Amino acid sequence: MSGRARAARVIAKRQVFEALVSPGLYIALVAGLFLGYALVSGFARAVDSSGFNPQLRPLYDIIGRGLEGAFGKTFVDALFAEGPLPFAFSVSFAPVFLYIAVSSVFKFGLEKNAGAVELVAYGPADGTSYLIASYVKDLLLSLFSILVLLAFMVAAAALYNYLAGPELFVAAVVAFFLSLALLAYGSLASMLTVNASSSLALFLGIIAFLLVVLFGSFAIVGEYVRTLSTVIARAVQWVSPFFYGNLSLRANAAGDPLGFVGGLALLAVLAVVILTASHFIISARGVRA
Amino acid sequence: MKRSSLIIALLLAFAPAFAQAPVRTENLIYSVLAYNGRDYSPTFARTASPAVFLIAGVDNFLTVRKTLVYFWPLTGEWKTNMDALNVPIDGVLEITDRWGSSIRVIPSRYTYYNERGEYELNWKVAQDAEADRVWAHWSAILGAYEAAMKDYRDRLAKEQDARASLIVRIQRLRNEGGDVTALVDQLSNMKEPEAPQPPQDYVVPPAEIQQAFIVNLSAGDYTLRFKSFDGSILEGSEKRLVVHQRRRSGGIGYEVIPGDRWTRPVDSATPSAVLYVDGSSDLYLRPYVEDEYNDLYYAKTIRNDARGNPNLMKWERIQQIPRAGIELTGGGAGKSMIREEPWFVEQAQGATLGYRIVPFDPQGAQKGKEPSLIAFRVTPGQGSAVTGLRTVDSSGGPLPGSERQIRVIAPPAAEPVLPLLALAPLGAMALVLVRRARRYRRS
Repeated sequence: MSGRARAARVIAKRQVFEALVSPGLYIALVAGLFLGYALVSGFARAVDSSGFNPQLRPLYDIIGRGLEGAFGKTFVDALFAEGPLPFAFSVSFAPVFLYIAVSSVFKFGLEKNAGAVELVAYGPADGTSYLIASYVKDLLLSLFSILVLLAFMVAAAALYNYLAGPELFVAAVVAFFLSLALLAYGSLASMLTVNASSSLALFLGIIAFLLVVLFGSFAIVGEYVRTLSTVIARAVQWVSPFFYGNLSLRANAAGDPLGFVGGLALLAVLAVVILTASHFIISARGVRA
Repeated sequence: MKRSSLIIALLLAFAPAFAQAPVRTENLIYSVLAYNGRDYSPTFARTASPAVFLIAGVDNFLTVRKTLVYFWPLTGEWKTNMDALNVPIDGVLEITDRWGSSIRVIPSRYTYYNERGEYELNWKVAQDAEADRVWAHWSAILGAYEAAMKDYRDRLAKEQDARASLIVRIQRLRNEGGDVTALVDQLSNMKEPEAPQPPQDYVVPPAEIQQAFIVNLSAGDYTLRFKSFDGSILEGSEKRLVVHQRRRSGGIGYEVIPGDRWTRPVDSATPSAVLYVDGSSDLYLRPYVEDEYNDLYYAKTIRNDARGNPNLMKWERIQQIPRAGIELTGGGAGKSMIREEPWFVEQAQGATLGYRIVPFDPQGAQKGKEPSLIAFRVTPGQGSAVTGLRTVDSSGGPLPGSERQIRVIAPPAAEPVLPLLALAPLGAMALVLVRRARRYRRS
């Protein structure tokens, strides 16, 4: 094991420990789990003799109308085809992931500003090992959160008689690979900016932009919006984790396992490319803020 | 009093002016008769519409005409007013593919029809002389049927006259105290003439011969424009022509009719779909074959101003499955096979509103009536909360992609367990913090 890898392992271990002994992750998990609970219990009450009827529950009525108005009935039908669990899982994971990514980006910026990273770099570690450690820590926390949420969904399935089927597990796998690339963007944002708040702003800006482009290309509300989004999407899709995630999900829906794995592989490649870019930036600029 | 009457009179006089009449504008349209995978859908692309959508590898019919179009806000659709203006325009359709090679389509005389067969899908298109032959054949069949009907009506009238006069004779004889037995026997032996059967050759008979551009292209993006015979391009006729094809075919979908709301069926189209129900009612299932199309392209093939999602695919019902069976699993009884049966919907007796679905009895209670629906009845939740099903064909072989689950859902008694589980991370956090505090104290 190289010195850099050993340093990254030690720092990552320390950072994971710090994350586990602070309350933030637990609170984010509880928030995510309660969102999931609201969705799975609401679904059971929105079922009548003819199947799932969103109008029976105000929560699902709002969700159903909003999604159907924006993306069409086919989108809603596909979303709930297997049941509420894939959707509930995705909604639950969003705040947890956001907490992990945002706190990491902010912390990295703060540590850089305070000179903590510089201090570590005077020792056996360098900026890249600190970057890798931070990334690995985020990844492990994401994986841990995904497993916790998945266990909760399986428990909900057993309790309510839902099917914890392939779509749920596909959603979990895609969520993990999406995290790979999105967290890499977090690292890149930390490298590109000089302080914590600008890192955070840049990271959230990137995520929001890529999400708007994705949702825009799915939108059915206005042909102009969709056309514009599709044009922008064509330009930025190569660097958008959501594009590759969507590619994977579409391949899965089409029964194309090769396409599914290909989409995940591209997400991993994108993460590696972004991390490599971050490595070059930190090598060129140094660890000083 | 006088003033208010005057105001009301004025308001009434101007009432028509307040009514919102849709604005009709003259448009050059492509009138499209598009094949949609199971039959033909009429639609039109107005001048402002950027594209025409067609399915690849099948005959579609286009005409170019001037007409009035207007937006109908009640249904959110664009409509034509062909009664007021309908001017077909002669010329040539020029279709150019993305590599720049063009084909010119001249108008053809055609008819289309659906021949009766085992499946609903027997659509055929006949052009020119063949169209004349088909139309002549249909006209002959129709003529023969009409002649038979006329003959039947004449015979029926004669029979009814004879019956009426016999009744008069019986009454008269009875009044005179005579023996009417022979006449009554004669009356009861009288038989109504049998009505001729309508022609059975076609599900949809040949349409009257029309003239249109017949477009049958492979999948791709084309440019469409209309040239008049002098070679000039008609303004507003240039459009994108999207010819698309199904992504997958031969999927199995189910029309699901709940017993307590049979007028509101739902579809289980996606092969991975699970049917969640509350188990309060029987389900009546009708399996069908389906094909998968792009959501937006298919919607626009059927109705050019429709909305859809270009990034999603959708299964579309194509035809029923003849002589199918449904194999059920679950309920502890192993596998069981159910068959399609006729059912009759009857109004509930008494003051209770509603209806019930009963087995159709053509010899008994429902004599002389038609069944309301023919479907497979499944009782969800019988002995098991999960019922598995799949369709088998006439030879008993399972049809791939027909597997579904019906799950009976109800908020469980142990539901409070779930929010407690959701709080578990807080418990873990408390545990970690307490242990850490203790270690600090110790050190």
